[in-house]
Parts: sequence; structure tokens; C-alpha cells
Amino acid sequence: MDDNAPHGRKSRVRASDVVTNVLTVAYFVFALFPVFWILLLSLKPDKQLSTTYFVFDPTLENYTAVLGLSQGAEGIPFVRFFFNSLVISFGAVAIALLVGVPAAYAAARWKFRGSESLLFTLLSFRFAPELTVIIPLYVIYQKLGLFDSYVGMIWVYQLIALPFVVWILRSYFQDLSPELEQSALLDGYTRVRAFFLIVAPLVRPGIAAVSLISFIFAWNNFVFPLILTASHAQTVTVGALSFLGGEKPRYNFTAAAALIAAIPPLILAFSIQRYLVRGLSFGAVKG
Amino acid sequence: MATLSLQGLRKEYGDLVALDELNLDVRDGEFFVLLGPSGAGKTTTLKCIAGLETPTAGRVEIDGRDVTDVEPYDRNVAMAFENYALYPQKTAFQNMSFPLNSKRYRVSEEEARKRVERVAETLGIRHLLQRLPRELSGGQRQRVALGRVLVRPADVFLLDEPLSHLDAKLQMQMRAELRSLGEMQNTTSFYVSHDYREALALGDRIGVLREGRLVQMGTGEEVWQRPADTFVARTFGQPEINLVAGELVDGPEGCLFRSRDGEIEVLLPNRPAPPGTSVELGIRPLDLEVADGETPPDTVKLAGRVYVVERLGRELEVTVKIGENLIAVVTGKGSKDPDEQVTIFFSSSRLLLFEAETGRRIDLEQEDVEAINRA
Repeated sequence: MDDNAPHGRKSRVRASDVVTNVLTVAYFVFALFPVFWILLLSLKPDKQLSTTYFVFDPTLENYTAVLGLSQGAEGIPFVRFFFNSLVISFGAVAIALLVGVPAAYAAARWKFRGSESLLFTLLSFRFAPELTVIIPLYVIYQKLGLFDSYVGMIWVYQLIALPFVVWILRSYFQDLSPELEQSALLDGYTRVRAFFLIVAPLVRPGIAAVSLISFIFAWNNFVFPLILTASHAQTVTVGALSFLGGEKPRYNFTAAAALIAAIPPLILAFSIQRYLVRGLSFGAVKG
Repeated sequence: MATLSLQGLRKEYGDLVALDELNLDVRDGEFFVLLGPSGAGKTTTLKCIAGLETPTAGRVEIDGRDVTDVEPYDRNVAMAFENYALYPQKTAFQNMSFPLNSKRYRVSEEEARKRVERVAETLGIRHLLQRLPRELSGGQRQRVALGRVLVRPADVFLLDEPLSHLDAKLQMQMRAELRSLGEMQNTTSFYVSHDYREALALGDRIGVLREGRLVQMGTGEEVWQRPADTFVARTFGQPEINLVAGELVDGPEGCLFRSRDGEIEVLLPNRPAPPGTSVELGIRPLDLEVADGETPPDTVKLAGRVYVVERLGRELEVTVKIGENLIAVVTGKGSKDPDEQVTIFFSSSRLLLFEAETGRRIDLEQEDVEAINRA
């Protein structure tokens, strides 16, 4: 009995490991299959598009066509859409940080008349459906000449990026003892210098995290560019769908475009992932 | 080097009055301790002096200059915070040299290094200079925070309970060291504490704060021997002072204090107030002794029964029940058993008398002339 006991335990441990692994694999298949399917689609030649599942003659022609390097996708300037997305998303995040970091700091440190209402209003931008405001915005943008412009898109993306920046960074600032800045004030530094020398470096992980999240949300947004842009400032999310219009829907082109469009957020996420998990859990959860 | 003066300082947070008409003057080079329980407004006072809080009314003067509306960085005060407020991303060295790199207090890099090293040497943290705050123990952090104050010659040092987070042994050691630091000896220091022992050990003068009001100000000896009221009397001393409620009565030998249940009677040196006045008699446990046979002359003797005995290290705290009254006595004499009959005694010069209604101390050395005339 004594000899068997450890064996028994050992095999039980192995059984639970197997279950864990099977479940993990099952989840990965579930989560990654759509991505895998898009990948297959993006590699299929036109003729095999609707006639094959997994076995076909893979080609990179869809990618070259989408990028305008070969024939097939004339009239749809995907590279321009891609560039537009980059400019608009980076611009939106930059403006959101420029406005949002000081706003978050102020909201964390000073209570002033209406500060809570202001913050709540900001948050309500996030839970109000975009569709409720899109028609009035369309009219306003037409009148102001912001329709289909970079400025207009960067502006409207503040509805997405700014609430994130302010709300998440505010809790970061709140986690820092105000006595750190007070100490710097007494050490002979002005409020501005105290902020840049002491406070800002301490919330850097938070800034990295909110930049990434708001970049991804801006990049992925579909409704705003769908209604508020035409050809000039259109982004990849809307642009990728152009391949489905016309006489023949080119699902393989759309798939290739979608995969190309996924690259920038991925690169960003990998480059700052060191900050990411720590950053997100640090600010949000108060000790 | 400077004087510090608070005039009619008042601070309100909404409906809450944190400081009420605070007036006090700290002399040049003095070590002043502001003592009070938590919530009394000690830290608020410090922050008003530092310029981190704006007083609702009143003035703050440093070296005769009105600084009430001056920004903290232009006041030339240095402060050690209760939670140390060390910059987490900077090493101990960078923390301590930080004030010396600012535009206002800048010195050469070489000079800064020298000063930091000298102060670190005095504080015994020279070997820790390259560590980050999170790699330091509580006591070491406190020394770094103190060091950051000491490196820069300031008009006033503000110290917010810098020893309160340390263990008892380290506290004693630091208390002894603190006063001997050269920088401390020459600079006006304003020290905030809730520990009466710290106040007595460190303060040239002590101010006692209660609910935003200054109750008493004086040297350690003054506040200990002549407390302004029962609050001050209770603040100083552990175990707390014994207070017995009663009234003044006229006896054949003169004016007497008689406890409410009539079990304790003490002859007073003179009649400080009219008979019938409700008063509280105060006597410190340390001033009481358990009689061992003969009692010295000129003492007040009370007989009672031992109620509780508690050992405080080498000494005993014996609680004696006299009638309904419980009197604590600290004695170095041998063990006592509960229910034992004992006589306790004290020198009548140690006696304190307070007005029951206001808690204010009644001066026993002065006859109430009116009371005599009336009698």
C-alpha cells in the first residue's frame, strides 16, 4: 500500500495535466481558427476561392495585388488607407496623451467644482453607442469642412482615446502619494518640474499601457471612418471592405488586407508588452 | 536660522475646522515639539508652515517675513514626511542630493557629493547610498528622509513624526541621536509627534494641540509639573495620571478635598476656591508609592485594597481600590497580591487640582482671597 500510494498520486497528477493541456489546446483552436481561416483565405487563388477548404495552390498574389504591386485591385488604394490609419491613429493617441495626461493628473489631485461630472461625461463617451451620435456628427462635419479630413478623424477619435487616457491614468496618479510632489516642492522645484522629474517617470508604465489600448481601439474603429470619410481620409477598416464591392467580391483580397492591417497593433503590443500586464494591473487595482 | 511665527492660523476643510486660531512663536534655533493625538491638526499645521496647504485665515511668518502666500519652493524650509516620501525611482544618494540640484538651492556637483556623504556618515547610512528606497528597511528609509532634510541649510526644519514607524529600540536610539546632530542644533526645528516621551526628550519647548487648538505651551518641565488642564495632564505619562472626582469642603484643619464617595480625603495647603466647588484631584502614578511600614513625614496617606497587579518590566503597576476609586501606582517594591490591604502615600507637593467643569488646573500655591473673605 505504502509503495503504491506515491504511484497513485503520480498518475492522478498526470491525468489532470492531460486534461489541462487538452482544454488549453481546445481553447487555442477555438480562438485561433478564425485567424487561421483568414490566413488560408488570403493565400487562395481566385479560382479555388469557393471550391476548396484546406487543400489548394497557395499564392502570394493577393498580397501583392492589395499592395498595388501586381494587377487585380486597381482603383482601391489600400496603401493609402493603411497610411491614413497610421496617421490618424497615432495622431489621435498623441493628442489624447497631450490633453489627457495633464487632465488625469488634475483629476487625481484636485477636486474642483464639477470635476466629477466632467469625468463622468468623459466616460459616457465610451458607453454611449457611436451610432447615436454619428448622424449629427456627419452633418456637423459636413458644415465645418471636417468631413473626410485627418483633423476631423483625429478629433472624433478623441471620443475613443481620451476617456481611456484620463480614467486609467487618473488611478495611476491617485496611487502615488501626493507627498512625493510636495517633497519635491520643498526641495526647491516648481510644480511643473516636480511633475516631470518625479511623477511622470513613475507613471510611465501606465502611459505605455493606455497608449497601446487607445491605439488599438482607434485603429480598429469602423463606424466613424465609415460615415465620416470618403476617399481622402479613409482607414484600413473601411478600406478593406472595398474589395467586396463591385461585380465580383474578392474575399481573398479582403483577407490579405485584414492581415496586413493587423501588423501595426501587433508590433506595438510586442514592443511594449513588458509594461503592459504590469501597467494594466498596477493602476486599475488599488492596493 | 530663523524665527517662525504663526498668527491666528485657521484652516477649514468644508465644515471641519482643523486649526482654530493657532498662535505660536518659535525662537531662532529652537527645537519645538508640537504634541497631540491623531487628528488634532499637527500635520495640517506643518503643511501650512511649508506652504503645502493654504490657511483659511491667519499668517505664517518666517524670519519676520510674511510667507502666507509664498510658494513652498520659495520658503526655504525642509520637511521630513511621516511616510518618508522618498522618490522610489531614485537611489538614496539621488534622493538626498535632489534638493541640491534644484535651481534654487543648487550647489556644484562636487559640493553636493561631499555634503551628502558627510550627512550620510553622520546618519550611518553611507554604505546604503546606492540602494533604492524599496531595498531599504523602515529605519534606513527614515534616515534617508532625514538626510534629505539635513543636506540643505534651510531656515526651518519641519519634521512630521519621523520616528513613529520605527520599532521601540530604534526609536530610542534615534531620539538620542537626533538632538546631537550638528545641523539640528543650529536650525530652528518644528517637530510633530503624538508621543509624549519623544516630546519631553527632544523639545526645548512643547506645544500641546487638541482639536485644532493650542492648549498649552512651555518647557517639558512646565507641561509636566503644571499642566494647563486635565487633557494635558493625561497626555503626559504612562500609566495615565489618576483623576479623582470630588469637591472642596472646609474641615477643622483647613480646606479638604473629598472624593464623591467620601472615601478619600486630602488636606490641601490652602483654600484655592470656595467650599463646594466641584474639582478633580490629580496625582501621577509615578509620584505614588506603596508604604512599607513607616511612611516619610509630610506625605498624604491613603488606605485601600489591591485590585490588579501588572508587571511593567522591572516595575509594577498596582491598581488600588479605595472606596469606588481606582488609583494606579507604579512601584519598584516587591510583589503585591490582589485583595491585600495596603497604604499608599504621596508628597503633597505633587498634588494637582483641576476644576471639574472646565478641566482647568487650579493653582494650589495661591489662596483664593475672596473665598477666605466669604468664609
